[in-house]
Amino acid sequence: MSKRDAYEFAKPREAAPLFWKSLEAKAKPDEAKKRAEAEFPFNLTKDDESVGPVGRRNFMMFAGLTAAIAGLEGCARRPVEKIVPYTRMPEYALPGLSYHYATVRYERGEAIGLLVETHEGRPTKIEGNPDHPSSLGATDVRTQASIFDLYDPDRSTQVKHKSGAALEASNLADFDAWLAGKVKAYAADQGAKLRILSPPTNSPTFIRLREAIRAKLPHARFHTFTAVGESNAREGARIAFGQAVNTINDYQHAKVILSLDSDFLQTEPGMIRATRQFARGRRLNTPNEPISRLYVVEPSYTTTGANADHRLRLPARDVERYLAALATELATKHGLSLGAIAVPLAALGAKIDGVPEKWVKVVAAELAGAKNRSVITVGSRQPARVHAIAHALNAALGNAGQTVQHFPVTDPEETEHVADLKALLSDLDGKRVETLIVLGGNPVYDVPVDLKFAERLASSGATLVQLSSHADETTAKAGWHVPLAHEYETWGDQRALDGTYSVQQPLMAPLHGGVSPIEILGRIAGEDSNGYHLVQGTLRASYPQPLTLDREWKKALQRGVVTGAVTRPFPAMAVREADVAAAAAQGKPGKALGADNLEINFAPDPKLLDGRHANNAWLLELPDPMTKIVWDNAAYFSPTTAAALGVAIGDVVEITREGAKLEIAAWILPGHADNSITLHLGWGRTRAGRFGGEEDERDWGKALDTYPITQKLPLNGKMRGFNVATLRTSDALGFGDGAKVTKTGKTYLLAQTQEHHSMEGRPVAIDATLAEYKQTPSFPQYRTPDPKTLPLWTPVDYTKGHRWGMSIDLNACTGCNACVVACQSENNIPVVGKDQVQRGREMHWIRIDRYYRNAYTNQKDEHLDEKDPLVSVQPVACVQCEDAPCENVCPVNATEHSPEGLNDMAYNRCIGTRYCANNCPYKVRRFNYLEFQGEPMYGDMPEVSKMAHNPNVTVRMRGVMEKCTYCVQRIQEGKIGAKRDARPLKDGDITTACAQACPAEAIVFGDLNDPTARVSRAQKRDRGYRLLSELGTRPRTTHLAKIRNPNPEMV
Amino acid sequence: MGYIVPIKELGESPLVDPKISLHEVTDVVAKVTENKAPRGWWFAFLFAASFTGILGIAVGVLFWYGVGVWGNNSPSYWAWDITNFVWWIGIGHAGTLISAVLFLFRQKWRTAINRFSEAMTIFAVMCAGMYPGLHVGRAWYAYYMFPIPNQMSLWPNFKSPLMWDIFAVSTYFTVSLLFWYVGLIPDFATLRDRAKTAVRRKVYAFFALGWLGSNRHWQNYERAYLILAAFSTPLVLSVHSVVSFDFATSVIPGWHTTIFPPYFVAGAVFSGFAMVMTLMLITRAVYGVKSIVTMKHLELMNKIMLTTGSLVGYAYGMEFFLAWYSGNDYEWFTFVNRATGPYAWAYWTMISCNVITPQIFWFKKMRTSIPVMFVASILINIGMWFERFVIIVTSLHRDFIPSSWGYFRPTIVDVLTYMGTLGFFFTAFLLFIRWIPMIAIAEVKGTLPSADPHFGHAHADHGDENHDTEAAPDAALAPGE
Repeated sequence: MSKRDAYEFAKPREAAPLFWKSLEAKAKPDEAKKRAEAEFPFNLTKDDESVGPVGRRNFMMFAGLTAAIAGLEGCARRPVEKIVPYTRMPEYALPGLSYHYATVRYERGEAIGLLVETHEGRPTKIEGNPDHPSSLGATDVRTQASIFDLYDPDRSTQVKHKSGAALEASNLADFDAWLAGKVKAYAADQGAKLRILSPPTNSPTFIRLREAIRAKLPHARFHTFTAVGESNAREGARIAFGQAVNTINDYQHAKVILSLDSDFLQTEPGMIRATRQFARGRRLNTPNEPISRLYVVEPSYTTTGANADHRLRLPARDVERYLAALATELATKHGLSLGAIAVPLAALGAKIDGVPEKWVKVVAAELAGAKNRSVITVGSRQPARVHAIAHALNAALGNAGQTVQHFPVTDPEETEHVADLKALLSDLDGKRVETLIVLGGNPVYDVPVDLKFAERLASSGATLVQLSSHADETTAKAGWHVPLAHEYETWGDQRALDGTYSVQQPLMAPLHGGVSPIEILGRIAGEDSNGYHLVQGTLRASYPQPLTLDREWKKALQRGVVTGAVTRPFPAMAVREADVAAAAAQGKPGKALGADNLEINFAPDPKLLDGRHANNAWLLELPDPMTKIVWDNAAYFSPTTAAALGVAIGDVVEITREGAKLEIAAWILPGHADNSITLHLGWGRTRAGRFGGEEDERDWGKALDTYPITQKLPLNGKMRGFNVATLRTSDALGFGDGAKVTKTGKTYLLAQTQEHHSMEGRPVAIDATLAEYKQTPSFPQYRTPDPKTLPLWTPVDYTKGHRWGMSIDLNACTGCNACVVACQSENNIPVVGKDQVQRGREMHWIRIDRYYRNAYTNQKDEHLDEKDPLVSVQPVACVQCEDAPCENVCPVNATEHSPEGLNDMAYNRCIGTRYCANNCPYKVRRFNYLEFQGEPMYGDMPEVSKMAHNPNVTVRMRGVMEKCTYCVQRIQEGKIGAKRDARPLKDGDITTACAQACPAEAIVFGDLNDPTARVSRAQKRDRGYRLLSELGTRPRTTHLAKIRNPNPEMV
Repeated sequence: MGYIVPIKELGESPLVDPKISLHEVTDVVAKVTENKAPRGWWFAFLFAASFTGILGIAVGVLFWYGVGVWGNNSPSYWAWDITNFVWWIGIGHAGTLISAVLFLFRQKWRTAINRFSEAMTIFAVMCAGMYPGLHVGRAWYAYYMFPIPNQMSLWPNFKSPLMWDIFAVSTYFTVSLLFWYVGLIPDFATLRDRAKTAVRRKVYAFFALGWLGSNRHWQNYERAYLILAAFSTPLVLSVHSVVSFDFATSVIPGWHTTIFPPYFVAGAVFSGFAMVMTLMLITRAVYGVKSIVTMKHLELMNKIMLTTGSLVGYAYGMEFFLAWYSGNDYEWFTFVNRATGPYAWAYWTMISCNVITPQIFWFKKMRTSIPVMFVASILINIGMWFERFVIIVTSLHRDFIPSSWGYFRPTIVDVLTYMGTLGFFFTAFLLFIRWIPMIAIAEVKGTLPSADPHFGHAHADHGDENHDTEAAPDAALAPGE
C-alpha cells in the first residue's frame, strides 16, 4: 500500500459555492456544511491518522488482519471447494437452475420414459416421464438408482486389447481399425465366422442395423441371451398364438387377479405401469367402492405376495399343476370351453399336495364370475407351456383384448435363449467362430454353468470382443474390451412393451469415452459410428421428408415419445388349442418333494436383477423388500423346511444339484413354500467393483466387538453375497427339483435394517378387511386418538400461508422401495456399508417397515404364525410433527419449526447431541456417526461420484443429525418459480422425491391450506390416521389404513 | 492414657479415637503430604496415570473418526456416554451431601470424611463434565451450548433439558470447588507452617491466602463456610433432579416418569456413598488414618447406604407398578422388556447389586465388617452404573415403533473411554492425597475432647456406660498445637 499523498482536487472557494446541492445550501452554505459534518464527522478526503479513530490505511490493515485470522477458521473441518467459472457460457443454461430432458431407459424388456434433471449439464436425478405409458411419471428402484451407475467410479474407462496373456490398454482408434479390418476380411465368406451375442433388445435401430449387417454379411449370426429374460413368456405366446407377443395386463379394471409365480409388482417387466394400475384398482375413497382382489400362488414371499388378499405358498414346479386343476374346475364346473386343452390338464391337475380344495373351487368361481374382468398372469420363470395355458384361459374367460392385451414385440426374432446359446456354443465347439462380439451382458458370470461358456470359448480360440460398462468377469476372457457408454450418455431408441417409440437422448457426453451397442453395429454395417445419425436413420424410414423428420425429431426429444408411431394391440387372438394341448401334455407331476428332493428356484434380485447393477451401492444398501437384508443375498427356506433340515439363520449350507454346488448363507423367510429354496441372482460378483466386490475372497462379516478402526468400511472390495449362478443349469433356469442341502458348520453374518417383525399389537401399520371397513369406516382413528391435554406452549397458527402435509396410502403402497432410492438420490444420502447397517446406522430418510401378521384370525400378533403370515408394509419418514418432541430437546436450536410447519434441520448449527433422535417416537432421524461421505474412514469420495450430488442439498458431515425435510429444496424451488411467474402456487407445483417416484401414487404431498389439493382430500378420508397421534405430536403426515379384500369363502 | 469427657451428642460415642491428641491429628494428616510417597502410591499412580493416557487415546480416536467409534446406534443414540455421565454426577453427590447437608445438620462425624468426599465430588464432576463435550458429534462446536452472545443472535434453546444440565453441572462444579477450597485454607496454612523447603512453603502460602489463624480469620472463615454450605445444600437435590429431567421430560416410555427427580437423587447419594466407602477403605488401610476415620464413621455410612438403597429399591418397584397402573401399553411393555427382554441380564444385575446387596446392612455384624462393606460398596458402584445403563439403553432400544428396535453393543472404544475416566479420576485422587491434606485437620480437631471449651474441667458423667475413660487424669492430655 502506497503512502503517497492522495490526489487532491483544487478546493472551491468557500464563500461562494460553485456547486450546490440545494437552494438551501446555496443560501446558507455554513449551515449546510455544519450539517454535513454532523453526518460525516471524518473528513474522508484526508488520509492520515488524525481524521478519526481509524484511518483508511489502518482500517485496511485491520481488515486484512481480521481476514487472516478468519483464515484460521480453516482449522475447522470444512471441505475445500473450488469454483470454476464458465469461460464460454452455454446458451440458455442459467447456473443454479435445473433443466429436465426427456430420455428413455431399458429395464427388463421394457422402455421406461424418463425426465432427467440436470444441473449445469450434469444429470443428478431421474424422474418419470408422465407422457410415457410405461412410466406415467413414476419410476422403479433401479431407474432411480441408475444415476449411481452413471457415476460409478469403477466403470471401465479404457479400451483394452489382449496381446499375449494380458489385457493391455489400447484405444478406440485401434479397435476401430481392427474391426474395420475384420469386417473387410469377412466379406469374403460373408461373415460366416462372425457371431454377435447381445441381451434382448427393444431398439428399432438395433434391429435395422442387424438387417443391414445381414445384407452385407449374410452368414454372420446374431444370438440373444440374458440371465433374466422373457424367453418363456414369448415361447408360451408362440405356442398359444403362433407368434411372440408382449402381454400387458390391465390391473386397474380387473376385478380378480390371479398371479401364478409372477412378481408383477416388483421384478417383472412393466412393473411401474402394473403397480400404478393395481393401486388404482384398489383405491378406496369411500367404503362402498369396489376394489379388486388379488390371489397369488408363489414359492417365495415377494412384493406381489405381500399385496395379495390370499396367498398360496406352493413350490414353483407345482404352480403348473395348480393352474391345471383350476382350468379343469373352470371347464367342468363353470362350463368354460377349453377344447382339446382340457384333456391333458385334467390329468395334470389331479390331487396336488399343499393346495387346499377351496383354492381351486373358490378361485375358479371368482374367475368365472368376473368374465372379461379378470387377469391370470404367469411369472416369467414358469415354463412356456404354463404361459400358453394361461393365454388359453385368459382367452376363454374373455379377458384377452379386455383386461389382457397383446402387443407386437419389437424383436420377433428373439428365440428361446438357452437353445440360442447352445447353437452358439456348438458353433464355438466346431471352431466355426473366429470373432464373437458380446454387446453388453456378462456371459462368463451368468450363462448356466453346465454350458461351460468360458471353457468352450477358450478352447474354440475365438476372439471375444466385449462391450461392457465394467471390466467384469467376462473381460478377463476377452480379446478386446470396449467400455460401454451409459444410456444417459449415448443416442439410441427404444420401444416400450406397448410399442411406444422413444428416442434415448444423451444427457452428457460419455464420461469415459464409451460407445453404445448400436454404434458398434453401425461400424460393422459400415453405416456410421455416431449414434445420433444411426437413430435418425431409423426415423427417416417413417418420416422420409427432411422437414417432417426434423419436426418429429424435435418433438420426440422434447416430449420423450414419438406420437406418430403408436402401435395398437392385437384384437383378441385365436388360441391354437392343439398346440397348447400338446404342450400341456408335457407337464408331469414330479417326484414328491422332501428333504432329499428339494426344489431350488432362481429369482431375479429385487434390487440387482441379474447382477448388472451389482456395483450400485445405493441398491446394495437398499433393504430387500421382504427380508430387509442389505449387502447380501441368502437362500430362503420356509420355517418348516429349515426346522426339518436343522438350518438356522446365518448357517452356511451347501446346496447340490446335478453335480453343481453352491455354498450360501441360509435365511428363514416366513411364508415361504415348504421344500423349496429361493435363490436371488446377481450376487457374488468377483469383478463388479469396489462396492459389489472385486476379489474372489468373501467378507465373512466381523463379530461386532472387534472394531475395524483402520478398515475402509464399505469399500473393502470383498465379494458381496453368493453367486447362485454356480448352481443354475440350463434345465433349471427358473427352478428345478432334486436339490440336496447339507450344513457346512460355518456361519455368516447377514445385516438387516429391520430386526423385529411383529407389530406387537400396536397401532402402527393399521389395516382391516373391506367388511370391517364398511362396518366402521373410521376404524384407524379409534386406536390413534389425539390427546385431550392442553398444549405445552401456545399453538402456532398455521392457517395462513402454506401448510405442507403428506398422506401415505397404505392401501396403495406395495413396498417396492422406489421412494427410498429416490430420496437417497435427491437428498445426497450417504451409503454406510454392511458393517454400519449391522450396527443400526443406516441413513435412509424414508424407510419401508415390513411387519408380519397373522392371516385373518383373531389370534394376536404376538403369537405369530410363521408358516403363513400376512405382510403389512408402511413407509415412514419424518412426519413433521406440529408439536415436535425433537425440537424441545435440542440444546442449540438446530431443529426448529418453519412458519409453514416444517420441522427444519439447521445442519450448520447441529452439534450432534442426538437428543432429538432419542426423543423422536418415530425414530426417523439419522445421525452421521462417521464421515460417511469421505475421510478418514470411508476414503476420499471419487470426484466422479460427487457429480451425482444434488447441488441444492447440503452434503452433511459427520456428527450431524439429518432427516426428511419434505424436500424443502423443492418447496423453495417451486415457490421461487411461482413467484417468478407472478402466480399463486397450485397443487402439483411442488412434490417430494418420494411422492414423485412412487409408481402406486401412494404418497401425496401438498398444501393442507388448499382445500382442493389432493393431499387435503386424501387426509380427510375416513381411513386416515396419524401415526402415534396419541402422544400429542400432531403429525403432518397422515397414513391411510390398508384395506384387505379377502373372499369370505376363503377365510 | 486417658482423657476428660469428650464432646458428645446424646448417646454418641467418641467420633475419633479419644486417645489421639491435637498434634497427632496434624501430624498424621500432614505427614502424608510431607513424607516420601510410599511405593504403593507410586504403583497406584502409574497405573491410574496410564489409564488417563488411554483416555487421551480413546478421545483422540473419538475426535478423529467420530462418535461412530462407540457402539451407539439407532435407536440407542445414547448409551455408555450418558450412562457414564449420570454415574459420575451421581457419585459426586455424596461429597456435597457429606460436606454441606451434614454440616448444616451439625453431624460432626462428617469431619473425618468430608475433605475426602468433597475431593471425590470435584473429580467425579470433572469426569462427568467431560461427557457432554465428548459425546457430541462435533465436539469443536460444543461451545454452542453456552449462551455466548454472537452476531447471529442465536441463543441456546432454554427449553432443552440438556441446556439445564449445562447450567446445573457448571454451577455444581463451581460451588463444590469453592466450598472445598475454602475448607482447605486453614489446612494449607498448617502445611505452609510445617514446610521445610522454600518452594513448598511458597506454594502452600499462595494457596493459604495469608491465613494467620486469627480470631477474625476464623470468624470470616466460619461464616463463609456456612454460606457456601447453604449454597451447596439445594444443589444436592437440584443437580440430579435436573439431570433426571433429561429423561423425565422426554416422550420415551421408561423415561417419561415423574418419579425420576427424587429417585435420581436417592440413587446419586447411594452411589456416592458407595464410592466414598470404596476409596475410604483403601486409603484408611494404606495411610493408617484409622484413628480418625473410625468404624463408627463407616457404620454410619453403611446405614445411609441401606436407607438410600432401599429408597432406590422402592423407586424400582413403584416404577413397575405405575407402568402397569397407567394402562399405557408402551410403558408397560418397556418395563416387562427390562425384566425379561434382551437386556434382562443388565436389569437383574442392577436389582441384585442395588436392592439386595445393601439389605445385608440390617445386620450390625455386616455393617462393621470391613471386607463385607468393601465388596458391597463395589457391588453398589456396579449396580448404580447398571441402573443408568438400564434406564438409558433398555428404554431406547425398544420404543414405540417395533421396526426400529435394535440392540446396543459397546465397542472397545466405549470401554476404554470409561476406563480412561476412571483412570483420570484416580490419578486426580492420588495427586490429591499426595499434596493436599486428605482429612480436614482443623475440623477434626473441633471434634476432639481438647476442643471442648470445658476441656480440663472434670464433669459429671453423661451416662455413657460404654466408655469408662472419663476418669482419666488431666495430665494425660497431650498438648494441642
